[in-house]
Amino acid sequence: MKKILLSGLLFLSVLSLSACSSTTAPEAANPAVQSKTFTTGAIPDQDPEKLQRLYSKLSKYLEAELKVPVVYKPVTDYTAAVTAFKVGDLDMVWFGGLTGVQARLQVPGAEAIAQRDIDSQFHSVFIANKKSGIQPIQDLKGLTALKGHSFTFGSESSTSGRLMPQYFLQQAGVKLEGDFKGQAGFSKNHDATIELVTAGTYDAGVLNEQVWQKRLKEGKVDLNKVEVIWRSPAFFDYHWVMNPSVKERFGADFPQKVQAALMKLDPKVPEQKEILELFGAAKFVPTKNENYATIEKVGREIGKIK
Amino acid sequence: MTVTPSLKWGLIGLAAIVLSLAQAGLFQQDLFNLNGAPLLWKFIVASVHPDFSPELLQTTFNATLTTLAYAVCGTFFSLILGIIGGVLTSEVWWLSFGQPSRFWLLIRGFLAAPRAIHELIWGLFFVNIWGLDPLTAIVAITIPFGAITAKVFSEILDETPRQPLLILLNSGFSPLTAFFYSLLPQAFLNLLSYTFYRFECSIRSAAVLGIIGAGGLGYEIFLSLQSLRYEQLWTFFYALFILNGLVDLSSAWLRRQLGCSSRLDLNLQQTKKKQAPKDIVRRRYFLLLPVSLALLALCFWVINPDFSKLWALRTQQLLGQFVRSALPPDFSEVPRLIPQAIETVSMSVLAIAFSAFGGLLLAFPAANNFFLPGGLLNSNPGKSANLLPQIMLLLSRAILLMCRAIPAPIWALVVLFVMFPGILPGAIALGLHNLGILGRLMAEVIENQDQRPLEALKAQGTPNSLIFLYGVLPLTMPRFVAYSLYRWEVCMRETVIVGLVGAGGLGRSLTEQLSSFDYRSLIVTLGGFLMLTFLVDWVSATARRSLR
Amino acid sequence: MDLPAPVFELKHVSQQFGQFSALTDISLQIYPGERVALVGSSGAGKSTLLQLLNGTLRSTQGEVWAMGRNLSQLSSKRLRQIQQQIGTIYQQLHLVDNLRVIHNVNAGQLGRWSFLKALTSLIVPLETETAIKALSQVGIAEKVYERTDRLSGGQQQRVAIARVLVQNPIVILADEPIASLDPELSREVMDLLRNLAQQTHRTLIVSLHDVDFARSHCDRIIGLRQGKVLFDAAPHQVSPDLIADLYRLESHR
Repeated sequence: MKKILLSGLLFLSVLSLSACSSTTAPEAANPAVQSKTFTTGAIPDQDPEKLQRLYSKLSKYLEAELKVPVVYKPVTDYTAAVTAFKVGDLDMVWFGGLTGVQARLQVPGAEAIAQRDIDSQFHSVFIANKKSGIQPIQDLKGLTALKGHSFTFGSESSTSGRLMPQYFLQQAGVKLEGDFKGQAGFSKNHDATIELVTAGTYDAGVLNEQVWQKRLKEGKVDLNKVEVIWRSPAFFDYHWVMNPSVKERFGADFPQKVQAALMKLDPKVPEQKEILELFGAAKFVPTKNENYATIEKVGREIGKIK
Repeated sequence: MTVTPSLKWGLIGLAAIVLSLAQAGLFQQDLFNLNGAPLLWKFIVASVHPDFSPELLQTTFNATLTTLAYAVCGTFFSLILGIIGGVLTSEVWWLSFGQPSRFWLLIRGFLAAPRAIHELIWGLFFVNIWGLDPLTAIVAITIPFGAITAKVFSEILDETPRQPLLILLNSGFSPLTAFFYSLLPQAFLNLLSYTFYRFECSIRSAAVLGIIGAGGLGYEIFLSLQSLRYEQLWTFFYALFILNGLVDLSSAWLRRQLGCSSRLDLNLQQTKKKQAPKDIVRRRYFLLLPVSLALLALCFWVINPDFSKLWALRTQQLLGQFVRSALPPDFSEVPRLIPQAIETVSMSVLAIAFSAFGGLLLAFPAANNFFLPGGLLNSNPGKSANLLPQIMLLLSRAILLMCRAIPAPIWALVVLFVMFPGILPGAIALGLHNLGILGRLMAEVIENQDQRPLEALKAQGTPNSLIFLYGVLPLTMPRFVAYSLYRWEVCMRETVIVGLVGAGGLGRSLTEQLSSFDYRSLIVTLGGFLMLTFLVDWVSATARRSLR
Repeated sequence: MDLPAPVFELKHVSQQFGQFSALTDISLQIYPGERVALVGSSGAGKSTLLQLLNGTLRSTQGEVWAMGRNLSQLSSKRLRQIQQQIGTIYQQLHLVDNLRVIHNVNAGQLGRWSFLKALTSLIVPLETETAIKALSQVGIAEKVYERTDRLSGGQQQRVAIARVLVQNPIVILADEPIASLDPELSREVMDLLRNLAQQTHRTLIVSLHDVDFARSHCDRIIGLRQGKVLFDAAPHQVSPDLIADLYRLESHR
């Protein structure tokens, strides 16, 4: 018995030693792995499953174009995307207007490099459950019709799902505390907003127009139950932001290379067409930090930027 | 009639619950959102056909392994911290060195702060420095758990009889030798038993940490809940049940082998504990060590945390950046925080009331010594044809397991289907989660209860309902109340994490401040929260002491 | 002679606990008004016998009859009715020690009380006069509203007796009631038990270690040895030799 026990102990200690050595090996290799891999991310504004599909296609494309390994790393919420970008876990992130500004304020030298053709003229749509009795409204002042109904935003840090809608509601004189039935909810993403309003959990909600159009096209929206009541004025939204640290690892011209690769996405090539379609864009266009000054101003007004 | 402590505290408790209900807006606001019921129904229906596709099962397996690994590594480091801290903060350690100083009290006080902050908040803090490295999850578990373990260990050491130690000291042994030869062997079983309990808690915490993106089952559950894919969600749920169930079972089995019957002994006086037979087979200790070492090695290998980050230059830079962005504190939001602080306390009161009540209802059928054949309250002894008690036992244990396995924030997201955001859904979510833990602890109290007074009642022909009223209830109630008060302290810490998913209270402010990167206000909110936690701890400790 | 019907009758009763036989082929009768002492060393089967008599154990073989009923054939409701006529005072203190004395005494009546009455009494104690009367009979009337665990061992033993008084049974069983008391208190408790039995013509069956008390307080002594009846006789018939035989160690045989 003692012998068995002893040999067992010996075996286990060998095992743990080998485990230790195998843990140290990748650790040593870790910085190398990091510097060789270009990590992309995105704010989880839609169904995470759909994001996963979209970004693995994009990663494959970028990998072929840039000749470096590209991975996509999902995060659980908008704030986490900003934090991961700040810490250096993510090299390039598809941010919303507000999160992009928050990220650039925390990472000096970070640059907005590209956006979709639709992002310079972006809209939110307010939607309502048909049973709620809320009628389509004509202008901003009409938002007062939402008083006394339950209402949900998307994520706390969403530009089209919270920041700009809150700004418009404020201008129409609708207060977040007290004017709605119950407290305003945060559904966390645009798909969830559609789902919750369709189900009637909330009478009304607000989301990104592009996601709405796309789900409409896919036939995922039950128009017998939910309808658009108002389309907001235009504002700047989504864009790619690049961490300056990539210049050290991949060369000073790397941001330009990525920008060029994104611009080059061509609707005539079937695989690239799919990527563009998943993004809901005809093409990508260059952008610059200054485009988001209005967003920053509204962000400070609402208190989402300090 | 004089006012007894139990009457006094009973009335205080009742008043607290009524006030909290009023605070929750039970009497004036719209709380329930029945329009969401179909969605809840969809969620429930999905439980019978979870997604068992091979790819998802692969994901589930990996996620389960990650969660387990976080828990194991977290427990390991908190155990190390706990042993060092526990010894250093025990009175008896300083006594054996002949130092009558009150130094240990100072360290004990110092350990109160890390304990008061929930793992998830620690996690959010470390994400800012280390990103989503497994290191973040491990350290987030280690810090609060290490501090709690240190506190409990020091209490165990101080409550262990000291005569053997003093004898050794007086016969000229060095303090260190004396300590290791007398006190530690005596306290060993209690320390070990508590370690197992901590491990059970670590599993639950590891799942919660998934919500900040740390990976594992909690992360997958959160993602599938966001994409409203309930079939997948249930697959992960079932994995979490199995993991929790296995850990609970094996830790209970180990404790039985070692002869300690209770998970968590709150050191109540006046409990005639049935002494478990302590015929410990020595060999089992030897088995325990290599098995846990192997498990530990496996877990480190699975998640592969990057310990170099602990002393990396970048860590210092980011820490400095964080500190600069959090100082000086911004007190401008204090007027808004005060009503939210009251809400938070109300939420914790309602949560614990809910879970104590639910736990009480489920604990009796879940205990194995009452309704089963041969059990005291089994109405037809000798006849085993009646399967109902067995079914009730399994069912109530399954419900308790489900309640505690699912993290409170996930419960909150489910409750928010049918309720408006506010403190009531938060309280219900917290209540559901803690019900599972409290119910299990209560069932254990019942199982360890001295049966002799009850047998005396039965022998004189007392009907079961009255045995319950005059025997079971008065005998078990003091421990139930003590456990509930203890869980209340835990509930208070957890109010933050349901607040993060929109359930109201200070957590809602915290979420806003986090998403605005407003660390100057955040630090004030956290400070206020810390004070509330200490307040609740103090009230709970006072009540427990006077109810002894 | 025309004997009254026995209170208890055992017919070839054996009791096994796994491999261990606690009692082997016991047959005996106990009649109303008798004061019976069970003596024998620890493990001789005294407690087991008492548990069979009050219906908390079911014999593995043979029949136990109490008040004309075969205990193993009763429904649990009928069994409870019989049990209400049997009061048991236990070896260790089987009281609910964080209840007040009044409730522990009232617990003796629970067999007769409705659920609602019992519940009410927990909040506002009912039938306090009966309880106080019983407590003054055992000499601690002033402790009626104390918490039971604040009482000394001897006082707690009296509470247990008061509970049996309130129960007002036909038979009193006592399982080593003086095992943990000093000689003075032992005498007091034994006197109390004897007087109670004599005054109200109750049957008393008490298990004892102390043969002297058995002689002085009982009118029949049953000696148990290794689960068998060694002798069953009146006190004057029990010789010192018999007692020596009773406590003789196994290895001497």
